[in-house]
Amino acid sequence: MRYVFLGPLAMTVVLFQVAAAPYFPLMGATANPLLVLLMCWAMVRGPREAMVLIPVTAVFKDLITNDPVGVSVLAMLPIVPLATVRERHPTQSEFVPTVVVVAVASVCYHVIYMVVLTSLGEEVPWLQSPTEVLVPAALLDAVLTPLFYLPLRLVVTMTESRARLRMVL
Amino acid sequence: MRTLVWALAAAFLALITILLSQKGALDPLRNMALTVVSPLERGVRNAAEPVADALNRIAERQDLEEENRQLRQQIEELRGEIADLSEQQALSEGLQELLKVQEGRPGDQFLVARVIAKDPSNLKERIAIDRGSDDGVAEGMVVMSAANSLVGVVSSTLANFAWVTLITDPNSSVNAMVMESRTQGVVSGTLHSGLRMELLPQDTVVAPGSTVATSGLGGNFPDALLIGEVVSVQGSPQDIFQKAELQPAADLSRLDSVLVLISFQPARLDHTP
Repeated sequence: MRYVFLGPLAMTVVLFQVAAAPYFPLMGATANPLLVLLMCWAMVRGPREAMVLIPVTAVFKDLITNDPVGVSVLAMLPIVPLATVRERHPTQSEFVPTVVVVAVASVCYHVIYMVVLTSLGEEVPWLQSPTEVLVPAALLDAVLTPLFYLPLRLVVTMTESRARLRMVL
Repeated sequence: MRTLVWALAAAFLALITILLSQKGALDPLRNMALTVVSPLERGVRNAAEPVADALNRIAERQDLEEENRQLRQQIEELRGEIADLSEQQALSEGLQELLKVQEGRPGDQFLVARVIAKDPSNLKERIAIDRGSDDGVAEGMVVMSAANSLVGVVSSTLANFAWVTLITDPNSSVNAMVMESRTQGVVSGTLHSGLRMELLPQDTVVAPGSTVATSGLGGNFPDALLIGEVVSVQGSPQDIFQKAELQPAADLSRLDSVLVLISFQPARLDHTP
């Protein structure tokens, strides 16, 4: 049932990312809403569901962009271990760690992406990338985090409260 | 343990699909996906553009953006004419060989294509157009803006779509010439839509505001195709070459439609069977 909700949401986010995100650059970088959504979902619901969604949505994204199909799957792999580490070390507040983890995932995404492009023979400006890609993109993705995290947190909390109430009754 | 197994399996499958993708085995699937998604994409894009424009206006406090865009287009067209005229002048001054080549070239034929997507990657500058190999578009073909300035080169084709590598892509390089001084160099892309002209000899004078157009060297691009304007020149006396930052003539971030030059056969296409 959860995939019925999350699947179309993720596909819509991919569509937005491909069609609209390039029009809203910050410091020259473009946001990666799909990465932010999947990272937030993995933080709120645990990494298991992200394991299903990452390959499906990443392949869909690669099919409609110019990227080699599969590169986004590789680039988004760190989401799962990051969420697993976070799951093993719970903290009182979840929001700040989520923002930090999104920024880290964003950096990992671009580094893996650049490694793959380099290995495929494309020219990648490694020297310029820290200041012109990695940091701006991580900041932009971190800024975007509340837009996904807060509604997700709200929906999940409401669903869990309802389930608990049903069990009590 | 479960995470590790999943990560290994996903990485393995991803590597296989990357290999298949590089061999073109997934092109029919890509074409199908783009066919289904492109109308939706266009809708989202049309909706996003005014919002982005509005945000830009707020951010930059420029109420005259539309007028500015029209003026930029006029400048682009005029610079295109200047580039053409300069070239004609050079021809009339004795470049008879070049004149023969130009006279020998048949009239240019274009294919109008709509831009349907822009690559969202932070490391590439590419656009997708709604014309593909079924329409006669081939890899290496030159793509121009409506105002006849250089936009990029077709880098991959599907049956009904094609991806165009813009001149601002870090992988792009174009043999170019500063029209005023006839200095030759290579224009390549930098990150975030930047454009740089390199290999400019130290003993030549390149002034900001100079017009840069294709030189035609190498045979991958027609000559005298407007690229942009010199914004600044860098290089100390110790350097062997100077570098110049350029402003592209075409507004590459707001392309709606482009022209694919189908009559010009780039040199690399000549080698294809």
